[in-house]
Order: sequence, then C-alpha cells, then structure tokens
Amino acid sequence: MFRFFTLFTGGRKMKPCFNKIFKSVRRIDTFQIITLPAVIFVFLLFVLMLFVYFYNALPAFIREGLAVYFKNIWQASEEPGKEYYGLIAAIWGTVYTSMIAILIALPISIAYSVFVIDYVPKKLKNIFIIVSDMMAGLPTIIYGIWGVFALVPFLQKYIMTPLYKNLSFIPIFSYPPVTGYSYFSAGVLLGIMVTPFASAVIREAYQMIPFTYREAAISLGLTRYETTKILLGYIKPAIFSGMILAFGRAVGETVAVSLIIGNTFNLSPSLFAPGYTISSLIANQFGNAYIYRHMLPVLYAGGLSLFIIGLIVNIVGLYLLRRWQENVRI
Amino acid sequence: MNKYAIETKDLKIYYGRKEIIKGINLRIPKHTIFAIMGPSGCGKSTLLRAFNRLLELNKDARIEGEVLVFGKNIYAHNVNPIDVRREIGMVFQYPNPFPHLTIYDNVALGLKLNNLVKNKDEMDKRVRWALEKASLWEEVKDRLWRYPACLSGGQKQRLVIARTLALKPKILLMDEPTANIDPVGTRNIEKLLFELKKDYTIVLVTHKPAQAARTSDYVGFLYLGKIIEVGQTKNVFKKPKNELTKKYVTGILV
Amino acid sequence: MSEYKIRKGKEIAFTISITILTFLGILPLFHIIATVFVNGLPVITKESFTFLTGTFSNGGIGPAIAGTFILIFLSSLIGLPVALLVGVYAYEYPNSIIGKATETLLQIMLEFPTILVGVFAMSIIAIPMGTYSAFAGAFALAIILMPYVAVYTQEAMRQIPFTYREASFGLGLSRIKVIFRVLVPLSKRGILTGVLIGMAKVAGETAPLLFTIGGLYESYPVSVTKPVGAVPLLIYTLVQSPSKGNHRMAWGASLILLLIFLLIFIPIRVSLKEVKL
Repeated sequence: MFRFFTLFTGGRKMKPCFNKIFKSVRRIDTFQIITLPAVIFVFLLFVLMLFVYFYNALPAFIREGLAVYFKNIWQASEEPGKEYYGLIAAIWGTVYTSMIAILIALPISIAYSVFVIDYVPKKLKNIFIIVSDMMAGLPTIIYGIWGVFALVPFLQKYIMTPLYKNLSFIPIFSYPPVTGYSYFSAGVLLGIMVTPFASAVIREAYQMIPFTYREAAISLGLTRYETTKILLGYIKPAIFSGMILAFGRAVGETVAVSLIIGNTFNLSPSLFAPGYTISSLIANQFGNAYIYRHMLPVLYAGGLSLFIIGLIVNIVGLYLLRRWQENVRI
Repeated sequence: MNKYAIETKDLKIYYGRKEIIKGINLRIPKHTIFAIMGPSGCGKSTLLRAFNRLLELNKDARIEGEVLVFGKNIYAHNVNPIDVRREIGMVFQYPNPFPHLTIYDNVALGLKLNNLVKNKDEMDKRVRWALEKASLWEEVKDRLWRYPACLSGGQKQRLVIARTLALKPKILLMDEPTANIDPVGTRNIEKLLFELKKDYTIVLVTHKPAQAARTSDYVGFLYLGKIIEVGQTKNVFKKPKNELTKKYVTGILV
Repeated sequence: MSEYKIRKGKEIAFTISITILTFLGILPLFHIIATVFVNGLPVITKESFTFLTGTFSNGGIGPAIAGTFILIFLSSLIGLPVALLVGVYAYEYPNSIIGKATETLLQIMLEFPTILVGVFAMSIIAIPMGTYSAFAGAFALAIILMPYVAVYTQEAMRQIPFTYREASFGLGLSRIKVIFRVLVPLSKRGILTGVLIGMAKVAGETAPLLFTIGGLYESYPVSVTKPVGAVPLLIYTLVQSPSKGNHRMAWGASLILLLIFLLIFIPIRVSLKEVKL
C-alpha cells in the first residue's frame, strides 16, 4: 500500500487543534533551520560593526559634540586637557580625491564600454574585459607602490610642475608641487583604480540595450557617433549609478591613497596640496593613538562617518540601478 | 471506488488571478494509458503537475478542489507532498538526466537519498531492474560509469524513465515525453509505454493527437482549461461527440 | 554637403577619442605589471631561494609568504561555510523580505571600506585577546571574503535550468536534499570560481591587516593566536621606510604578490564567461 497513507489517521477525525499542530510541525523546513542562522549571523555582525564604531566614538561626541566633524585642528598632547581634534580636513580630502577620481572615471569608463561593445571584434572583446577585471581585482598595495615610485614622479614632473609654473594664479594650481604627494596624485590613482568598477556597470547596461533601438537609430541615417549619443542617453541612470558606486569605492580605499596623499592636515582647494582622507588618517594615526587619551574616539568617529558615507552611497547607487533595471526590462 | 488511479473533483487551478484549469472532473482507470491532448498552452502541463503536487514549486499557483489518488485526497492538509511525489513518478518534456552524475548514479539517486535501499548489492540489483524495465539495460550495461552526455535523446529519456521507475511508483506522469526526440526514439518510447502499462498507470500529456491515437486507451481533450470530451480513444477519434473535438482530431483546430 | 562633412568629422573625432580614452584606461595595468617585473625580478633572481624562504634580516620574505597562506587558509575556514549557507538562502528565497535584504546586504558588503572591517576586527578580537594574531586578521578577511563567495554561489545556482529542480523534487526529495545533494553539486564549478576569486582578493588585502596581525618577519609563524606577517602588509611597511634596500625588498615582494594574484586570477577568468566585481 501507499506509504503516505500511514500518515493518515485512517479516516478518523482528529481534534482540530491537534490537527493544526500536526500541520505546523510538518511544515518546518529543515533547509531554513540550517541556513537562516547563517543569514541572521551576518546581519547581526554588520549591526555589531556599526555599534562598535558608534560606541567607541561616543566619548568624542560627549566631549566635543558633532563639532568634531567640522573643526580643522589636530593637536595631540601628552596632557589630555590640551588635546583638540577635528576631522574636517580628512573629510574634505576624502570627498575631494573621490570627486577627482570619478571625474577621471566617467569619460574613460564610458569610452571603454562603447569601445568594447561597438568597436572591438568579437574575438578580442574578452581580452579587454579580462584586462578590466584584472584591474578591478589587483591588490591595492601594488597600485600603491606603483603610485609612489612611478605615477607620482611622472605626474609631478610632467603635469603638476608645468601647470604650477604657468597657471599658479588659478587657485587650484596655486600650491607648489614639491614632492608630488597631493590630492591630485591620489585622485588620479583612485580614478585608475575605480574605473573598472564603473565600467562593469556601464558596460553591462550598454550591452543590454535592446537591439531594436540601435536599429531604429541607424535606420534614421544617424552616424555611429550620433547613435551612440542616443544610446548613452538611454542608459543615463546606469551611468549615474555606476559613478555613485565608483565614488563609494574611492571613498573607502586606504593603502594606495595613504601612500601618496602626503598625510598632512590641510583644508586647501588646491590640487597639488598634500592632505588626508578619513581612511588614510585612520591608517596613519591609529597606531600611536593609544598614547593620547582623546585621539582614539575621534578616529572612531571618523570611521563612523566613513561607514555612513559608504552605506548611503552604496544603497543609493544600488537602488537607482535596480529601479532602472526593473523599469527597462522588457 | 478504488477502480480509478486518479480522480479529480471539480479541480480548479489558478496562476495568481488567472484561472487556468476551470473545474475538471477526470477519472483515470488503473493500468491504462490515459492521454490528455490539446493545443499548446492550454494548461495540460499545469494539470499534470497537480497530480504529483509539483505545481507547488511555483509560488503563484493555487488549487481548489480535490485530487484523489487511489481514493485518498492528496491535497488534504496532513499529507506531505514529498510522500506524494515518491509514489508518483514524472517524466519531462526535455530529457533531463542529471549531467553531473553517471548513468548508474542517475538511476540510484532517488533510492540513495530516500534511503530505500540497504546495501550496495541491493542497489545494483534495483538499478539493473529499473534500466531493464526502461528498455535501456542492454544499451548501457557496459557504460554505467559514463555520463548521460554520451546518450542519444531517446536514450536519455529512457534513463529518466529508469530513474523514476527505480522508486517503484504506481503512477507515471509523462509531460510530452517525446516532444524533443527523433522519430525512432519516439517509437521506442511508445513501445515501452505499452510494456509499462501492465504494471503502472500512465498519464500521458501530448500536443500531437496522432500520438494519443496511437498509444492511449483513454483520452481526454483539454481545451482552454476545460475537458471538452473524454472517453475511450477509439470512440473519441472515430466518433467525436463534440464539434471542437472533431476539429482538433482532424487537424483543423491546432 | 558641408553639413555632411561636419558630421563625418565629428564621427572621426569621436572614434579617435574613444580609442584614446580606452587605451588610457587600459595602459596603467600594463605599465604596472611591467614596472613590478622590471623592479622586482632583479631582487628575486639575485638569490631566489633566500628571498623566498629566508627571514627578513637575511634578506628574505619567507615568513610573510607563510603568513599570507595561513591567513588565506584560516579566513576560508571561517568564511566559506557561512558564505555558502547565505548564498544558498539568497538563491532559494529571492522574493522574501529577508531574501531581498540579504541580497542588498551582500552587495553593500562587497564594496565596503576594508579599513573599517580591520578596525572592527581589532576591536572585538585583538583587543580582548590582548595581542595581535593571525586569528584576528583571518576574521577580518573572512568578513571580506564572505560576500564574494555568497554572491557567486547564488549566481551559479540561478543558472541551473528549472527542469532539474522539478526533476529532483519529482523524485520525492525534501528541499534540503534537493539543494545540497543535487543543485549545489550541479553548480560546483561556479561556486568554486567564486571561492578562488574571493581567495585571490583576500590574499592581496592590506588595510584589514594593519591593526590585526601585527607583523612577523624575523621568524616563521607557529601559532594562530600570535602575531603573523603577510606580504601586502610587509610591502606597505617597507615602502614607507626611507631605506633604498627596503624599497628593493618591497619590489621583490610585490612581484611575488603579483604572481600569486595572476596565477589564481587568469585561469579562472579565462574559463568563465562573466565575473562580478
């Protein structure tokens, strides 16, 4: 006879409440029992991380309030009473270098995506994509060491010094590029590093444009350039989203930046001035922060701001991308 | 009342708000080949999956009514769908032996994971028995350790049948099993069905009326979610009672 | 006619600028690889055995290489099981609230600033333990590794045709058996790729190690609860020192790191159609 009939009660009617228990017990999914704890664990870990930053930054908030984010001062002292810290220089450096980075990433990632999809013969296409992926995965310390010994000397000699010599009356070129360690160098290196990330998003979006739009444009007698312009307009949200994600990546980069930004407290709009970013500040100062009573919480406060910036930027970027994808999927 | 292998009582199936099957009462006798024919897309595959509760894999699907298998309602609330599926086997439109398992392991999978067999000897015997029943043993007995990729479409499908038979179900559901197989393979499988009919009840979904005419004892014509006509195959094809049925079997309605 | 010429002119200018910009984007990689080889090869070939196995004062980075391998191994041990479970969950319940939240969280963690993960690991592991340790570093790396493997797992399983799901359920298998005994083995190639890519990424990370592992370059590591070294961290330290000798060592170590990276990355990438960053 049938096995599943053994689960029947042979036709007898059971009490309704007992039946309900029977039903809910049977419906427990062993799969969920095994996997859900792992999922919950990850969420909790993330929340714990946020909490740790907040908790450790609290002393700084108590002592100085939110002003700790807006002051530009870094006075470490053996006497706790004389310590004063402010993070605005680091925040400025983070934002400034990341903006430079996406200014560089924007044209290059678009050009690269169009080139790979429209101009490259099928056989070579994969090679270009592999190169881009390699650049995305390359250990950042290698970018760093190349930045220090190759990029910075090059930029300083061939770009920064001529610009300073001739155009120093313009504020952004007004700082003397003595060593080359500056917002500019950091921004350029970051640009090189985050372009592959933006490219991946844009390339995929560009590839997904239904062929029918391309056909329509060409059938109207448009040149390749004009067709591309229209198609790019079609994926504008994806481009925007790619830039936001690249920005998020740039904001979080630590070692490469800390090696070439000069690690100085500056609040200058000049490209060639050295500066700090939040992540390079943490990398640089955390080691000796233990000696001073009040430095540590401030660094944690910096970390907290980086956490929040990273979170917001990523969520916004992902949200825009998803919403565009859903609207556009035919 | 246990005369019928499967019996449906006012069975309705919904995908979301859309009613796909609109109240069906079918009676499928034991040890027969019962064909369900109809134009593509009118719900035949959906109906079939209601019989082994595979419909539930689709979150939008909803069922009303009863499906009685050998007299017992398989949708009663204290019935575990897993047990239902062990008793009712299914063969699919695209031959789908697991590509990452050897021929032997494909047949043994259901046995192994359901803990139906105690030791290796018994397993070997069952695998061989299933492959013989599926008319595949002679062709693969020397290559049990190779992968299904080396088999033809028809052989793959017979492997799928063997995989199902290994569990010794009482009913076999076949969802257009020869739709993607060459004519020779198709003939082999149709011959196999005649053999299997002796021990199993077979429900065969097909969109080719000719196949229903060739192979089945009973046939039901499903059109736009309703059973238009049902009865012994020879009667339905020679003297269809309904205009629509007549149009379908003569090829006017496709 | 001249309007046509203008359009044609724009077309040519466009093509040229696209090409130039693309190559500008690609060029750095080749320059980087070339620079690392040019500067690092002399250092390694001078006395390769000593370089690869010796301690630092003897001119070698052996302990750092050992440390890197220990960290990769340990972080995989911690991170892979969690990643697999999370990835499988995200695959199986893509429409539930938890499922969607999980996918979003994974995407966020993929690009999360790694320095923050490092400081976090320091706070909850190194500080309570009272010492830098391989374990603390591996913990941080596991957090970074997890989203990569989880996302690759989810994607690999999504590629499986629905009919195999139907077939396995049709055999009367429970959900947990269908997933772990049939579907996961079916997608093992994609999952393995994710694992390797995650390991490659984690091998090259520096920031999470800054305040967790301490550094150990004069002797080989013997315990996971004690400080350990790693190649990326060593490079970072050496680059910042003023000594030219140290810089040379840094280039040598960079070449080793680059080789490890290329050796894992290229074979995977060549055998795969699409990669998630």
